[in-house]
Amino acid sequence: MMAEGLLLAALPEHLLLLGILTLLVIDLVSSRARDPFLPALLTVLLAAAAAGWLAWAGHVAAPFPGHFSVGPQAFTAKAVLLVLTVPVLLLGREERLDSRFAMLLLASLYGAFLMLSADSLIMLFFGIEVLSLPLYALVVLAYRRPQSAEAAMKYLVLGGVGTAILLMGISLTLGATGGLGVDDFQQALAGDDFMSRGAVVLVVVAFMLKAAIVPFHTWAPDAYEAATIPVTAFMATIVKAAVLLALVRLFGGAEAGPALVAVLVVLPLLSIVWGNLAAMRQPGFRRLIAYSSIAHAGYLFLVLLGAPEGRFETVTFYVIVYGLTNVLALACLPAGQDWLRDRLVGLKGLYHRDPRAAILIAVAMLSLAGIPPFPGFVAKFLVFRTVMEAGFVAVAVVGLIASYLGIYLYLRVIQYMFMTPSPAHPATRPTGGFAATAGVLAFMAVLVAGVFPGWILGWL
Amino acid sequence: MSEANALNLLLFLPVIGGALLLLLPERRPDLVRGLSMLVLTAQLALAAWLYVQFEAGVSGLQFETRVPWIATWGVHYHIGLDGLNLLLVLLTAFLGPLVVAGAFTSITRDVKLFHGMVLFLQFTMLGTFLAQDLFLFYVFWEAMLIPMFLIIGIWGGERRIYATLKFFLYTAFGSILMLAAVVYLAFTVLSQDGSPSFAIADLHLLELAVPVQVLLLTGFALSFAIKVPMVPLHTWLPDAHVEAPTAGSVILAGVLLKMGTYGFLKLGFPLFPDAAQLATPLIMTLAVVSILYGAGLALVQDDIKKIIAYSSVSHLGYVMLGLVSYNLLGVQGAVIQMVSHGLVAGGLFLMVGMIYERCHSRDLAAYGGLAKLLPVYSVFFMLLTLAAIGLPTTSGFTGEFLVLLGAFDAAWPLFEQGRTYPLALASAAVLGIVLGALYMLRLVRRLLFGDARVPEAGGAELRDLNLREMSILAALVAAIFYIGLFPNDFLQKTEQAVIEYQERVLPARVEEGGP
Repeated sequence: MMAEGLLLAALPEHLLLLGILTLLVIDLVSSRARDPFLPALLTVLLAAAAAGWLAWAGHVAAPFPGHFSVGPQAFTAKAVLLVLTVPVLLLGREERLDSRFAMLLLASLYGAFLMLSADSLIMLFFGIEVLSLPLYALVVLAYRRPQSAEAAMKYLVLGGVGTAILLMGISLTLGATGGLGVDDFQQALAGDDFMSRGAVVLVVVAFMLKAAIVPFHTWAPDAYEAATIPVTAFMATIVKAAVLLALVRLFGGAEAGPALVAVLVVLPLLSIVWGNLAAMRQPGFRRLIAYSSIAHAGYLFLVLLGAPEGRFETVTFYVIVYGLTNVLALACLPAGQDWLRDRLVGLKGLYHRDPRAAILIAVAMLSLAGIPPFPGFVAKFLVFRTVMEAGFVAVAVVGLIASYLGIYLYLRVIQYMFMTPSPAHPATRPTGGFAATAGVLAFMAVLVAGVFPGWILGWL
Repeated sequence: MSEANALNLLLFLPVIGGALLLLLPERRPDLVRGLSMLVLTAQLALAAWLYVQFEAGVSGLQFETRVPWIATWGVHYHIGLDGLNLLLVLLTAFLGPLVVAGAFTSITRDVKLFHGMVLFLQFTMLGTFLAQDLFLFYVFWEAMLIPMFLIIGIWGGERRIYATLKFFLYTAFGSILMLAAVVYLAFTVLSQDGSPSFAIADLHLLELAVPVQVLLLTGFALSFAIKVPMVPLHTWLPDAHVEAPTAGSVILAGVLLKMGTYGFLKLGFPLFPDAAQLATPLIMTLAVVSILYGAGLALVQDDIKKIIAYSSVSHLGYVMLGLVSYNLLGVQGAVIQMVSHGLVAGGLFLMVGMIYERCHSRDLAAYGGLAKLLPVYSVFFMLLTLAAIGLPTTSGFTGEFLVLLGAFDAAWPLFEQGRTYPLALASAAVLGIVLGALYMLRLVRRLLFGDARVPEAGGAELRDLNLREMSILAALVAAIFYIGLFPNDFLQKTEQAVIEYQERVLPARVEEGGP
């Protein structure tokens, strides 16, 4: 009974593990490098189907009571992460990344899944580490420039600091409540003694570091820039989504106490302002995406101020939309030498070279800017409604005005693509088939989310 | 076809046209133009049919459609015609084919994208006018910026990028504050009614404290006032107009600016009536300042497009003045003035575009005596000028006269109570008519009369208007005189909605058996 329960409850995890092992075995027995795309894609699709089915069936189980439990929300979150992984794998195929990429990616996803089912802080910590360790390797995987190693180092060191902070928070939780369960943490959220406050602030700060919230964001632009496009896409969409969804699960039905509210108001707002301002000055596309992701992480953290019931829906919808838009933008980036294609000026006159890519990137930019009819608008609306409903009217207004700062930087990309003449000898080529497929898939999903947001919201 | 579906078809025709446009090859611009023309002409025919079918004197929406869109939030796809949007929908549909026809020869680059954007604009503008759900309204309102941003930025003049970014960022700032107000209203409905709704009719029933109303109105009003534009928020307009291609200028002046005044009429004042009354003196003052300041600026410009751009600021000041008179004459005058300005300014921008295509200059000092060189052109220019000045029998007269009548009507009782300020403002607004005549006649004198000269046109022979251009202008002039001579039908169809607007904003005055 126990074994059977475990089989079903952790089916997506098992499928991921199976995929990783298969890739490993293929790599070991095969004499030459094999393309890992198909096994990896199959793994992700199967796991997504499993997670989707379990979410739809409303499966609830706790195979390891107090450590690991699953319910519809956890399965939905996992299905979302898996679906977002599909275009990332396509991007990886486009770059002809080898099986190391696929294995590390699936391993990182495994860590994300542990976080999303964690019932104890120990399991959560374990999940975060399994999520992060492959990421450090993924960043350095594109070892083409010295900066990659430097960025990966920076990421590793700051990630280590995050780990230390998280452990400190966990131990303070133990001290304040006498337990290590997620429910103990929620108890600490409500507490207003010094130790509880310290515990929750430290844990949240560790999550902020992982999600790149100002002032813990400095690793992000370097890491995003150093990594290859698929890895950047993975970090910007799936990792960010996993961290936020895990935090929503960690908070559960609890409201943030006054000490935490201050942190949750000030730092996200700073992130929105600084992310948007700094993004304006970036010469490279990936750094721009990095700073924009810092701003978007700010919106997402604001959701934690909201009422507990609405948080999961809001965050899930936001990460779906945000992830799809990011993948769309990165997938349509014209092909070429890695650092050349990254230059924003390389996008000049793109509409005349590759109109389809230019239009898709423009859609992504407008969605990131939160301009209707694109789904980024609905997501932004949802976030600020959640915040305002919780009584933080002024915070929402300031956040909206801060989000206005971001519009210019997205418009600038459109301006380059449509309104400036193409250079005489463009250094880039049109996107290849796999990336284009990823782009079209993401675009169709963005379109559906923009025209019928009600479907997705009703399903969450 | 049921009647409501006719309105849906009207709204979605440009989308269908845009989808068909994608199938056409880029190297066949003639097909692209033909298809756009066909779609927009069909739209105009449909709009005319809807106008004829629209019943006067009936309260509420006609041709209404209401289906859930985002069910959990209570957002509906809810559109319908009423007396407030009827004429503006007709105006939008009327200008559509003229804009495309006017761009036959002037737009030669990226023809497909251009027509796609014009159709997109047409869709979003009609959507904004037709929306009866605040969320839907906001979506269309904001989406409208995208095609305009591209039209100015891609096909505009030398400083097009500066102008288009300024246009987008200026208007988006207003929209952000409006969004804050919309979000606030969204959860207020939820807490007061228990169920989420964005229906504008439901929002009317909200009970909001006066300070809250003031804050919310500020959010909405800033957004609308930027769009109108009212002094001192008008500085984006001359840049956008001057740099935009002709088609952009025509749509901008013809329809986009009316979004602002329509916003006040449909949402701003009726949703927050108490705050509206508090704000009336301020808005009235700004309206009169806009009239006079816009006219004054138009008087000293040397760029022909700038003259017309500033004249728009002045003319829309009348619309605002009419809206805050809250009486039948003034508000109906404002609606007529919106349509009239759309036709007149649209026509003038088209004419500037025509001369620019021939001589590549907008500098007034470079021209003279066009009456001898281009007689047909000059006749049409003269006719549009007369309408702009507001000569009787033209639409400009109907609009401005009613607005001033309404303004005096509202100001006189206050004057009798000892408050002279409104009356002084209304009197000052009359001065605007004189200034209007001054700057338009200055333009005509220097452009059409005097020694015949034009800037060098690259050796090409200067030819008068061709049949296509004449047809466009003839259609506009006919519409202008139709409104000027037979405004009755228009007035009847808008009357009921205007009365309801007035009852909504100023219930007290209606009870006293006011005007």
